[in-house]
Amino acid sequence: MVEQRLEDWLEEGYALSFRTACLILGNRADAEEAVQEAFLRAWRFRHALTSVTSVKPWLYRVVVNSCYSKLRQEIPHRDRRADDDQLAQLAQCTASSDPAARAEQSETAEVVLAALQRLPVSLRVPVVLRYYADLSERDIARAIGRRQGTVKSRLHEARRRLAGDPNMAMLAVDGVLDDPVEA
Amino acid sequence: MAILDDGLLKAVVRQAGDSFGISPTGVSEILRRVNTDDDGRSLHGDAGDAGDASDAGDERSEPVSTIGNVGAVRTARPAPTARSAPTVRATARAHRVLSVAAAVLVLLAVGGGAVVLGHRTPDATRRLRAALATPSGHVASGAGSAADRPGTPASSGVDFGPNDQAASTPGSTDHAPAPAGAATGTSARAGATSDAPATTSQAASLPAGIGHSARIEQTGSLDLAVARGALSTTVNQLTALAGANGGFVADSQTRAGTSTSGPGATVTIEVPVASFSAVLKKAESFGKVAALTTQASDVTGQYVDLQDRITALQASRQQYLTIMSRAYSISDVLAVQAQLDALQSQIEQLQGQLALLGNETAYSSLRTGMTEPAPPRRHRAVVVPSGVARAWHDSVHGFVSGAEGLIRIAGPALFALLCLGVTLLGGQLFWRRLQRHNL
Repeated sequence: MVEQRLEDWLEEGYALSFRTACLILGNRADAEEAVQEAFLRAWRFRHALTSVTSVKPWLYRVVVNSCYSKLRQEIPHRDRRADDDQLAQLAQCTASSDPAARAEQSETAEVVLAALQRLPVSLRVPVVLRYYADLSERDIARAIGRRQGTVKSRLHEARRRLAGDPNMAMLAVDGVLDDPVEA
Repeated sequence: MAILDDGLLKAVVRQAGDSFGISPTGVSEILRRVNTDDDGRSLHGDAGDAGDASDAGDERSEPVSTIGNVGAVRTARPAPTARSAPTVRATARAHRVLSVAAAVLVLLAVGGGAVVLGHRTPDATRRLRAALATPSGHVASGAGSAADRPGTPASSGVDFGPNDQAASTPGSTDHAPAPAGAATGTSARAGATSDAPATTSQAASLPAGIGHSARIEQTGSLDLAVARGALSTTVNQLTALAGANGGFVADSQTRAGTSTSGPGATVTIEVPVASFSAVLKKAESFGKVAALTTQASDVTGQYVDLQDRITALQASRQQYLTIMSRAYSISDVLAVQAQLDALQSQIEQLQGQLALLGNETAYSSLRTGMTEPAPPRRHRAVVVPSGVARAWHDSVHGFVSGAEGLIRIAGPALFALLCLGVTLLGGQLFWRRLQRHNL
């Protein structure tokens, strides 16, 4: 069943793809459009795939490229910085039931999202792919069509800029993360 | 970075990413779009699209390699003939700037070719038709001959009014190819009191704008002496003449006569170029010609230049419109819009000039001044006075003269009396003092 296979794809990668697109684009609506477009394109050209195991990274690459396309098309027309409404929406979307924890998570998300949006796209995409999508530098290089050394230097530059961001530094100082995720 | 290591960064980025709630309609929307095929293409895949896995990934300008099973993706591509159209499409997307530049070049080439062909082909056709229409097969020689300009004012045979007028007098330059500029022929000169009118003809430079329809701007000035009382009739005749030839009265002025000059009028009529000579000859018959001046100037070059500039500007405008359709940033849109506005303004200005020039070359202007003879001078009648009247006149004159004499001598007499009174008063005072001294 074609639909069943597509549903498998969506179940497997939609959430991760959508949130990756959100971090890259900084806008839920654009992220939804980009991910929809990416899945449709991937589905349209699914005959290019010969094995199911290659679907996930291939699909991920299509999503990233769809985000690139969205950025190129929409940046002049929209302010992609997370505005108050979007941050309020973020706060509502946080999963924690504790109001205090939820507020703290929302504040962290706001700071990180703002810091990411201040990065240029060439640095933001590797950061998101590395630290959210958990791709290796080699896979990131393949995804964005650059050499691995370029990815490494961009990640280094991105980390340097994020460390220079006072809000991000405050996150680290305040110990927002009591239980840091293992890198 | 010490305080922002990979672990912390990964944690906060993941926390930020996870804060985005998944839209409940996202998945269903994708399924719906797959099922409805809203793109008008087969989303369920077909053989032609099978090889375009990279098409989905090549939306960005950077070259992208596949992740994972690269070889499988490449080997799954169909034959080149089946994917030629998508490949061209993808190439065009990847090189949008080059595509736009190529489109602009093609537009320029097509526009330039159209302009060149549009200017040359009709002339060649006309030459061929003229050759076929002439029994001997002779095409009128000289690029500036009237026969070489069919469809123009010169083609009717009476269009070159100045030349026709000049032909009636020796020394004129009728239909002779003239050098660049205007050829001027002065046939005769006479004073206004002379029987022969002063006539000046200025013919246009004929061989201008080879390959284009000649555009001749003609004007004429005619001074007529009309019979006494015939001024209004002549004005009416001129008005009727203009109307009968498809023209109109552009200006009309009349003036009353004075003791030294008769009443006059000036009427300016605009008639079609083809009727100019006929109208001029008819107008000459309305009175005695005192002066006649006709002038023709060839504005073909100016006309063609305006047309070419408008064509070029319109091509540029089309290119900017193409660029506008591909502009995404507001600054780009505004910049292109500014260029479009400037181009539109120039085009409208040039089109206005072209329309004005076309109107001027479609109609010839003839200014006719008419003057009636001055009224005859009146002489005062000589009246011979009678004897009594002359005596009365002399009497009055004598009385006035006597009064004038009295007034004239009153002044000196009054002065003499004053001097005499002062002398007597002084003598009297002296006498009295002398008598007291003797006492």
